[in-house]
Amino acid sequence: MDFLFHKLSEKDREEIKKQVDSILQSFSKKLSEIKKDIGESNIEREKFERDEDGNPSELSREIMFGNAPEKNKDFIIGERKKW
Amino acid sequence: MVTTLSKLQNYFSEIEKNDKKGNKINAFLQLNPHAIDEAKKIDEKIKKRKAGKLAGKIIAIKANINIFGMNASCASKTLEDYKSPYDASVIEKIKREDGLIIGFTNMDEFACGWSGETSAFGVTKNPKSLEFVPGGSSSGSAAAVSADFCDIALGSDTGGSIRVPASHCGVVGLKPSYGAVSRYGLIDMSMSLDQIGPIAKNISDCALLFSIISEKDENDATNIGSKINLKEIEKISPNLKVGILDFKIHDQQIQKIIDENISKAAKKYKWKIEKVKLDYIDFAVATYFPIVYVEFFSATRRFDGRRYGKRIEEVCGSEVLRRIIGGSEISKAEHAGRYYYLALKARKLIEEEFKKTFRKFDCIICPTVPRLPHKIGEKISIEQMFQYDALTCPVNLSGDCAISIPIGKIKNIPIGMQIICEKFNEQKLFQIARSFEK
Repeated sequence: MDFLFHKLSEKDREEIKKQVDSILQSFSKKLSEIKKDIGESNIEREKFERDEDGNPSELSREIMFGNAPEKNKDFIIGERKKW
Repeated sequence: MVTTLSKLQNYFSEIEKNDKKGNKINAFLQLNPHAIDEAKKIDEKIKKRKAGKLAGKIIAIKANINIFGMNASCASKTLEDYKSPYDASVIEKIKREDGLIIGFTNMDEFACGWSGETSAFGVTKNPKSLEFVPGGSSSGSAAAVSADFCDIALGSDTGGSIRVPASHCGVVGLKPSYGAVSRYGLIDMSMSLDQIGPIAKNISDCALLFSIISEKDENDATNIGSKINLKEIEKISPNLKVGILDFKIHDQQIQKIIDENISKAAKKYKWKIEKVKLDYIDFAVATYFPIVYVEFFSATRRFDGRRYGKRIEEVCGSEVLRRIIGGSEISKAEHAGRYYYLALKARKLIEEEFKKTFRKFDCIICPTVPRLPHKIGEKISIEQMFQYDALTCPVNLSGDCAISIPIGKIKNIPIGMQIICEKFNEQKLFQIARSFEK
């Protein structure tokens, strides 16, 4: 295959799904060859939340809303099942 | 006297001249519209002796790092009209030290690629050999430095995305230790592997930019920073123990160039060299991709068409879609333990193996890429593409630091040598790299 960017057709999308299945199977097969076991590990944290300092500038807010295709004054609109 | 402004104008003219000649390297996606004014301000500061450490340096930025008011598109149709509402921490640091940003560079779409071919805005060409790929995903950053369109550039490296293009374009590229550089403001591909790093024409510029961006940042919880002393980089330790990675490479010419350079350096500096075998390195590609697929799938859920214009699955290219579908598949409950858990387990083993090796060796050296780049548009299999990352992605999995330096050429295509050191040993890494450069 070539890797140049192009608009994907339905056929391309179907082909990609098949490729993914085959890639994942090959990874799974390879990783199954590892016999050595390792224990589980976890990290204990004292603090889970961080306080935000400072306020975003008006311009930042304006740009953020500018990036959204549908919005009203204070909200970005995302209707159910439309995305 | 060379001013920042005159240097900037020279670079702009080089970019234009190059396009007129028909080379069309396509290294940049957007030039900084305020660069001229900013250059004048920096020159004023230089005159008054109040300028920062990066004054006079012209820096290009990969288009997945937010710069306030500019279009961090990630070379994608999804973010084609996205305007960054803030500066990434690395950008704040560069601006604070009076580095001048020349523009956003081209890249593989959302950093998903090995060759620079997956950009939605056209492929980047390799300035050293125009019909070949420059390597990816930081294709434009490496090409811009190599083509002399800027002094230094920033790229991001998840599995080799700084080192691979640096190798193919004949420049220096650093993948810092995980946690050395803040990722705040980087549009992530795989959050547990991504690192921002410099691409430069020489070790000294690479170390200079690293010393600025590696300052600790509270905005990234995984960041602890890393300090280096720039003056110390010239010092070369005579007692180094160098491990040469024992890895089967199909292109023996590449290994030969690496071996010759190591032998020469070992003789000159009286280093001890020994072959080193890493048992789990063969599992790196199969470990790396499931982790990337899952983290990338998760990261792209925000591109749902509500906040940034276009829904990613509708407008993306084949490699991005492959990773999204892969991540979605792996995350399914019915596959729990089959891919992701196995990959995490293998990652731990790879990390431990590197750690153990660094008890015996100061560094590990190998080719950056075990193959030569392919021609632009050439049909190659996905397995052949995976080979590009075979020697770079293990270092992302282990979290250690690595640098690619130009070391020779085959058929006019540059060959890079990768030096790997233990986490947060960038100082030693630069010293060893500098000794080869000398």
